[in-house]
Amino acid sequence: MRLATTALGTAAEESVAAGVGTALEHVFEAVSATRSETAALLARVAAEGRRPATVDLAALRPGLHTRLARMELVSGVGFVAAPGLLGDVPAWLEWWQSDAQGDVRPLLLDLDPDHSAYADYTHWDWFALPRDTGERAVAGPYVDYLCSDEYSLTLSAPVELEGRFAGVAAADVYLRHFEAAVLPLLRRLPRPAHLVNARGRVAASADPAHLAGSLTKGPDFAAVLERRRPATAGGALLVPCGGVPLVLVTHPPLT
Amino acid sequence: MKQQQTDGGARGAVFAPVDSRARVDAVVRRIGDAIELGLLADGEQLPGETELAGRLGVSTVTLREALMALRQQGLVTTRRGRGGGSFVSLPEVPGEERLRARLRGWSTEELRDLGDHWAALSGTAARLAAERTEPDDLLQLRRTADELAHAQDAPARSRVYGRFHVELAAAAQSARLTREQVALQTEVGALLCLVLGDDEYREEVADRHRAVISAVQDGAHDSARQLAERCVLESTTRLIAVRMSL
Repeated sequence: MRLATTALGTAAEESVAAGVGTALEHVFEAVSATRSETAALLARVAAEGRRPATVDLAALRPGLHTRLARMELVSGVGFVAAPGLLGDVPAWLEWWQSDAQGDVRPLLLDLDPDHSAYADYTHWDWFALPRDTGERAVAGPYVDYLCSDEYSLTLSAPVELEGRFAGVAAADVYLRHFEAAVLPLLRRLPRPAHLVNARGRVAASADPAHLAGSLTKGPDFAAVLERRRPATAGGALLVPCGGVPLVLVTHPPLT
Repeated sequence: MKQQQTDGGARGAVFAPVDSRARVDAVVRRIGDAIELGLLADGEQLPGETELAGRLGVSTVTLREALMALRQQGLVTTRRGRGGGSFVSLPEVPGEERLRARLRGWSTEELRDLGDHWAALSGTAARLAAERTEPDDLLQLRRTADELAHAQDAPARSRVYGRFHVELAAAAQSARLTREQVALQTEVGALLCLVLGDDEYREEVADRHRAVISAVQDGAHDSARQLAERCVLESTTRLIAVRMSL
């Protein structure tokens, strides 16, 4: 489907898209705080002339717990080490989650490939995208059967040590919480609207014809995100949500 | 490496509440299967009796009976005193023997019903995945199908087989179907070791999985559903045949 530059007045749609972008930028603040704390920690350990170990990562906990407690949208946060980074274990997630009661718990996975079919986490988008692009990323929506069993978005960013990829800092947002945060914004628009990721997967919707998890086929949403400005395709108005990789899709009234 | 108990994924389901019927058997089956599958490792300490009973949703009396049965099967040892508790212990008896003993605890009717439940989950997951999948979602399923074709021992094959069906439910974008599938795999996973040891059948399952992936990729909902159903029903039929030979 061809993308066209729009001549329509899109102020309302652009304001809603910007609001969605702002909501996720808050979550990225948790990711980038985790990222810089982890990078500083790893650099400190390297300066002592030794390899980091799981015990060093315990120093991240106060920061992770604070972010979980203070940030409403964030249900899980932490640092996921690149395999081989730590001296005492082959792989590790320093990962903390808050449950329905607000209690904070560590995620304790079996990462032994001889016992668990889920030991290798390096192919998940939240790990592979920052590793391969060097950029921050939004993975999902996807069913997170590794960590939470929830339908989720995971926001992540690469952590580097001496210029080399050392793992990712990340935060989980359960889709139901994301929906609660953005639905009031979508409802402000005069026509049914929904949000899709770069691949067209619906992340939240105020449109019964496009439910979360389904695919919106046709437009090249990745191209809309790259251009970073509104476009039209087949009668739909497509507005990128600021700097986050989501696109607002709606059908504006014809003028 | 072991990060102790997790509350997520396949291991989380090991300690989820059991059915109300035949609770002792259900607990024995659940923990026994987890040990056979390697979800609980040799020498690993089980949670304390009160905690374990709470998480499984049974009384401590029931739990103690179940632990007794597991001790009799040689799958759990109990140490008293400081640092004591219940520990997973893999006896030297061949795994296949123990699995046959476990299979004897299932009636053929229960196995047939298990297969029906599994077919309903995986069939629906395949149909929905065909509607909701775009190419990048299929990478994990393909990796798993290839891994099954190369997995050496039966427990590894069984774990990868189960992971395929969990990933299929995730590709359907359904957290509920995924959770159900994870729970079902803790029941069926250990038993499947009995049929997946056969190299020829392992090849057949890998081919069936690849056929499901192709149908999902083509957006062919109905054939994706049928192929997934046939795959799991064939496995259950084989299990039932083994059960009848015991």
